Amino acid sequence: MRTIIALVTTCAALGLGTEAMAERLKIVTTTSDLASIAKAVAGDKADVRGICTGKEDPHMLQAKPSVILQARDADLWIRIGLELEIGWEQPILDGSRNNRIRVGAPGHLDVSESALILDVPQAPITRAMGDVHPMGNPHYWLDPLNGRRIAGAIAERLAQLRPEDAAAFRANAAAFQKALDERMFGVELVKAVGAEALWTKTQDGTLAAFLDEPANKTKAGGWVAALHPLRGRKIVTYHRSWVYFANRFGLTIVGELEPKPGVPPTAAHLAELAAAAKAEGVKLILQEPFYSTKAANQLAAKTGARVVVVANAVGGEPAASDYPALMDLIVQRLSM
Amino acid sequence: MNQHLALCIVPLIAASMTSGYAFAQTSVQPASSSGFQRSFQSFNPDVSAIVDMYYHQDDSEEGISHVIGETVGFGHTHGHGEEGHDHGGPAEGFNLRHVELQFSAEVDPYFKGSAIAAIDTDGAELETAEIETTCLPWGLKLRGGKFYSDFGYLNAQHAHAWDFTDQPLIYKLTLGDHGLNDKGLQLSWLAPTPFYLLAGVEAFQGDNENMFAYHGEEPLPMHDGPRLGVGWVKVGPNLRGNHALQFGAFAATGKHQEEHDGNADGLADHWLDGDSTFWGGDVVYKYNAPRPYGQGDFVAQAEYFSRKKDLELVAHDLAPQFVGNHRVDKQDGYYVQAVYGVLPRWRAGVRWEQVGLTNDSELPNGRTESFGASDRVGIMLDFTPSEFSRIRLQANQGSYETTDGTEDVTEVYVQWMISLGAHGAHKF
Repeated sequence: MRTIIALVTTCAALGLGTEAMAERLKIVTTTSDLASIAKAVAGDKADVRGICTGKEDPHMLQAKPSVILQARDADLWIRIGLELEIGWEQPILDGSRNNRIRVGAPGHLDVSESALILDVPQAPITRAMGDVHPMGNPHYWLDPLNGRRIAGAIAERLAQLRPEDAAAFRANAAAFQKALDERMFGVELVKAVGAEALWTKTQDGTLAAFLDEPANKTKAGGWVAALHPLRGRKIVTYHRSWVYFANRFGLTIVGELEPKPGVPPTAAHLAELAAAAKAEGVKLILQEPFYSTKAANQLAAKTGARVVVVANAVGGEPAASDYPALMDLIVQRLSM
Repeated sequence: MNQHLALCIVPLIAASMTSGYAFAQTSVQPASSSGFQRSFQSFNPDVSAIVDMYYHQDDSEEGISHVIGETVGFGHTHGHGEEGHDHGGPAEGFNLRHVELQFSAEVDPYFKGSAIAAIDTDGAELETAEIETTCLPWGLKLRGGKFYSDFGYLNAQHAHAWDFTDQPLIYKLTLGDHGLNDKGLQLSWLAPTPFYLLAGVEAFQGDNENMFAYHGEEPLPMHDGPRLGVGWVKVGPNLRGNHALQFGAFAATGKHQEEHDGNADGLADHWLDGDSTFWGGDVVYKYNAPRPYGQGDFVAQAEYFSRKKDLELVAHDLAPQFVGNHRVDKQDGYYVQAVYGVLPRWRAGVRWEQVGLTNDSELPNGRTESFGASDRVGIMLDFTPSEFSRIRLQANQGSYETTDGTEDVTEVYVQWMISLGAHGAHKF
């Protein structure tokens, strides 16, 4: 017992001793989208590395040695959460031996806690339902309102870790949010109505009618204006990864090519989906580049819908170079 | 006692009330309901169970376990508890591997703990029960309890994580069905180098059935534990993109005792005591393809071990003139395997292995014996319907140098396994 007490005391004492901070903060994020937002918020005060490059499925990664090395040196670890990283995060955190980024430490930030979350199961779930995330759908970064909230959460956590730079982090986050607001609604509309009011309208469903008013129509720009003609359209997606984007821009998802989350398309499911898509008048099939387009093309041949393949993560395509550019790219592909 | 219990419970209640309050306070945001669930769950250990069954068939007369047990240079160790303990070999027909019932949790801000009970139709035994620190500075970690040594690549992997149904021959022949799994302490260090460098030392009680066996009964001498020391190092260069590479080197040395029944009358008649050592290296390369469902993923791995047993004949009822002389055994072996995601959820793999490339025994009577090498090739195809289940077909074709001459054996395995509950992610 005495040895244990001695060990614990040593642990606690040594833990305190290692809190001296380096000049530039080191931030490691699980995904490229978080890395892009963290870069915008941290500015020149941190080095930011993202683990997922945006080209691969973020559910399936390896706790590889070079990643453990990045985590070893990190002051702040930022994750999507909602069990997106459940298959690989813990071995990295354990392997890094870095107490600053363990779950619950100030250096561990789960941004899902600040995001608006959809698809939270309301009834008991089992694994027979496929790869269902019990705490909600983790693809929430595709909602620009969540992009805004993520920036705010990162700024607050950085301010806590580095109080002397708090003002700079908050100013960077505000600039990032303002840029998102303007790309979302157009500079003029933001100036006339205010970003807060506009985002509220996207939440309560009054935006469409508001944009149809002639006075606003001329001022509106950005992503909402570009996607306004598509509002109310019914679409099919590959994985249940576009619900947030669809929800924010008023698209209705009729079904997925995957029969259940994480289960590849089957012939029987595609036949059912084709019937439903025809009945609902689906004109658009949306999917990420890392999935095969075979199923989408089959469905397109049966329904006449257009297949849109676009990155859903920063770095998924060269044009998706940062978070706003990713949204630009998705909007551009959809409105082509 | 009651007071002590109260002291433990009060902080727990306080903590659960705090998380409940946090939930109420922020319930305007839909996301925070998950926060409550999470903090509530974190007070319970993760519990999981692995159910792993397979069908096995081979064309040898006495079964593959017998053939492997007769492999020259490796067999006939008669270590501690070996008799009546041969539960590792596959039976012809249906086999159920033990159910791994695992509990794991963060203990407090300082330690993490886990325990795995291995339950089979004959009863239960403790597979691992371990504590590890989460609070040491300078990249250090201390681990204690009963655990798998981290030497090499495959040793620390549980059977359900293997890419083939059976163990490589070199593992089975040198360390037995359980690999190197023992009671002890491990100190490991993640170096502050610009590339990945993890080094560890382990002290074990020394209770391996094949290579580090201990009887401690007359006429064998007694040795206090720990009787086995292991050291290893793993190095990973920083590769770009989705490539990963890791090299390892390891060595182990410990006390080893054997008792033999030379005239097959059922009673031990000569006893050996001395040191057993092994050393070797391992390499793993992984490519994580951008395609979903594991398609295009590639893993190649290889391990080589060399072992030496240097044992003194401490007593011999039939030939006392050789007492004091040594018996020295030197054997080695390796395996190389590669697995590729041929289709979404489907993987194909091939494994090539050889044992006994060096295969010499110097006997206490002054004679020296040299034996040939055995080899085996295996192919497998597996289907992974989800992260929680896998079905595998495997075939082996082996050529074994045994005491009865060369035996060729073809084996087939059909394996079906599932994971229930919250099973932690696997390491690299």
